[in-house]
Amino acid sequence: MTRADITDLIVEIIADIDDEADFDNLDPEKPLRDQLDLDSMDFLDIVMELRKRYKIQIPEEDYPQLATLNSCATYLEPMLKDV
Amino acid sequence: MHARFVVIGGGLSGLAAAVRLARFNENVLLLEQHSRVGGLNSYYYRNSRLIETGLHAITNYSERSQRHTPLNRLLRQLKIRREEVGIHQQLGSAVRFPQCTLRFSNDFGLLQEEIERCFGAQVDGFNRFVAHLDTINPFLATPFISARQVVSTYITDPLLVDMLLCPMCYYGSSIENDVDFHQYVILFRAIFQEGLFRPRATIREFLELLTDRFTAFGGTLRLKTGVKRIVTRNNAVAALELDNDEIITCEQVVSTIGLDETLRLLGETDHRPQRGQRLAFSESIFVVQAGVRQRVPDDTACLFFSAHHPFIYQRPTDAVDFRSGVISLPFNFNGLHGDRDTLEIRTTHLANYDLWREATTEPERYRRLKESSVKQSRQLAESLIGPFADLILFHDSFSPLTIERYTGKREGAIYGSPAKVKDGLIGYENLILAGTDQGYLGIIGALLSGVSMVNNHLLINHQPSPTRED
Repeated sequence: MTRADITDLIVEIIADIDDEADFDNLDPEKPLRDQLDLDSMDFLDIVMELRKRYKIQIPEEDYPQLATLNSCATYLEPMLKDV
Repeated sequence: MHARFVVIGGGLSGLAAAVRLARFNENVLLLEQHSRVGGLNSYYYRNSRLIETGLHAITNYSERSQRHTPLNRLLRQLKIRREEVGIHQQLGSAVRFPQCTLRFSNDFGLLQEEIERCFGAQVDGFNRFVAHLDTINPFLATPFISARQVVSTYITDPLLVDMLLCPMCYYGSSIENDVDFHQYVILFRAIFQEGLFRPRATIREFLELLTDRFTAFGGTLRLKTGVKRIVTRNNAVAALELDNDEIITCEQVVSTIGLDETLRLLGETDHRPQRGQRLAFSESIFVVQAGVRQRVPDDTACLFFSAHHPFIYQRPTDAVDFRSGVISLPFNFNGLHGDRDTLEIRTTHLANYDLWREATTEPERYRRLKESSVKQSRQLAESLIGPFADLILFHDSFSPLTIERYTGKREGAIYGSPAKVKDGLIGYENLILAGTDQGYLGIIGALLSGVSMVNNHLLINHQPSPTRED
């Protein structure tokens, strides 16, 4: 997966978690939490969905690395390079 | 049979736990001893009419836009849309003592006005108390603190202290004459600050929604499947032995049947200090002609009352204590039951389990006790909300024994053990508890308990990152 694929994937997962999320004007450098009003339970669901789909284990201490779309791409790129 | 995850108990906390597990894992099995799910919040049929066993109202009403409220978070976690539930707000409720009545609604401002009207001198203390509640995180595991004592440091009129305690006791306290302060905070927010609603349909459709979600995620539900024994090896659960002697091996177990009930399956008893006796309740249900709407208040969904001050919330010395209770008018919700020709009026009181148990030695005596309790409860309700006896089509009632028989809650204690295990851990590495005995309350509390225990113990990976090693 490319970085663009990964950010698309994250957006798709969030859309599935919250069908009212508004992705217009989403800034990939800014925290998803603030822009989409997500909470820790929503983040857990993003992590769980990644685990379910790609068998990726993300420990709790790494959750901050999923803060923005760009940081998601950076963190997940090595794990998803063969997908 | 082997299952990776087994959830024991198909009540609301078990269903929620099972939905969360199945959403992200394969091979999840939910076991329910009865032929129906729901536990304390289920239903049955009498005279071809569906009757709910527990639901008066659901707490924690919030608007759709308030994304971080318990209700909206819970619905997202369970992947249920608000429209699927159908959320109908109460038309108001009240706490009534002989000296005064405090009305409240889903607008917290009403309660504040009512306190100003009846307890002018207490307004300042009440506002400081509410401000204090805002600073509390009630979900931290902490030892018991008396809510009565905390409230009394802010509010000096003992009548108001009692009136603010009464609904919290009836909607969730497992201990006598008090509430654990952290549970009080949860209940105060749930009932007074957020408010009450009912789903569009009955508890049956709500349960079907959860069950459908669970099976759509690939989970397996087995009804009429009671667990006889939890088989352990080296402080871990190895298998479950069912009532029919079948053995199910498993990796992780979530028990939602209660602390004492789980310990019993483990062959243990609880040796921790107990806080008083288990509290039991009796409930009467009157199915009445729709004309009752013209007789009883149209702005009261739940009436919490006490005929006496001080308010007494303890195991009664008689079979039922009629001096206080809750009257539920499930039709007093916005847009509900307008098209029905029959409606329900429900009453709840504290009961004494041992006296009901004793009465069962003679079926006739038990039947007479049930009938006289219904009659007294009805007369009391009529004195509070107006006469309706001539409109009753039929009635039914639950004693603590009915509750124990159908829900497995020992001694009919709907709010469970007086001692709570807030983190859900009881010393086995692959067994967690969820439900009533974690200190979460009501329907939303039961669902949240199932969700949080599974999230915290089974979904979040607390292991340190392997990549940090290099």
